[in-house]
Amino acid sequence: MIKTFTPDDLIRYMYHETTDAEKAAIEQALVTDTDFAHEYRQLKTLMSSLETVKEEPSQKSVDAILAYSKSINLHSVPK
Amino acid sequence: MNNLTASDSQLMSLYRNGNEAAFEQIVKRHKSKVFTTIYLIVKDRYIAEDLLQDTFIKVVNTVKSGRYNEEGKFLPWVLRIAHNLAIDHFRKAKRYPTIVMEDGSHVFNTLSFADESAETEQIRKEVHHKLRKLIQDLPDAQKEVLIMRHYMKMSFQEIADVTQVSINTALGRMRYALINLRKSMEKYNIAYDKNLYP
Repeated sequence: MIKTFTPDDLIRYMYHETTDAEKAAIEQALVTDTDFAHEYRQLKTLMSSLETVKEEPSQKSVDAILAYSKSINLHSVPK
Repeated sequence: MNNLTASDSQLMSLYRNGNEAAFEQIVKRHKSKVFTTIYLIVKDRYIAEDLLQDTFIKVVNTVKSGRYNEEGKFLPWVLRIAHNLAIDHFRKAKRYPTIVMEDGSHVFNTLSFADESAETEQIRKEVHHKLRKLIQDLPDAQKEVLIMRHYMKMSFQEIADVTQVSINTALGRMRYALINLRKSMEKYNIAYDKNLYP
């Protein structure tokens, strides 16, 4: 019997949340089902785009964090 | 031990014993993820900078008062703090709306790429800016799942637990977030270009 996968299955696969058996079955489907493979490529492209949305804080903020840490002595912060 | 290759757990262990260089390394390692998570929620670079500092101040206070629990993983913990602070701010801002004059385009995207032409750099900045705007404009429930799964690296089960919905609902929200993003990218002709993002 050919297992039909849902878009949610594909999302779980993309985020490495499938079981080993599901992963193997999905990878088999990606070889044999062109529509499913197309959906996979589109999703992968989108996720690659999401990876580009990375922001960097200013060095000033980082310096302020490190200076704060150095100004506080171990166990001097009230619990 | 080399701080560059040390695990988060090893760095935090060193920091608990007063090693400030270990803390510096862990801040450098995770500052972008923490800042991106906050920025996508609050939509304001200057507020995000403040909340980033607040997040790490909580980390410092927790560690230096001896309350840091080594059993948990550092990154999910610090991202949870950042997320909670950003949501708190967002809720307060909704109650007390303020007008923020912000251009900010000159400070977007400080990632540096070698050997890029000025034109390529400009296109990349524009795509980056538009995509971030599309994420920020998603419905709150969808944006929340997208940020938690993609940027905070929480599992769908963890997201379901935190947001008090079923895992299928969390997955469904993620699916709609991705569908909506894809539609918007097509609508506004925001292309993914492998030459820009290999």
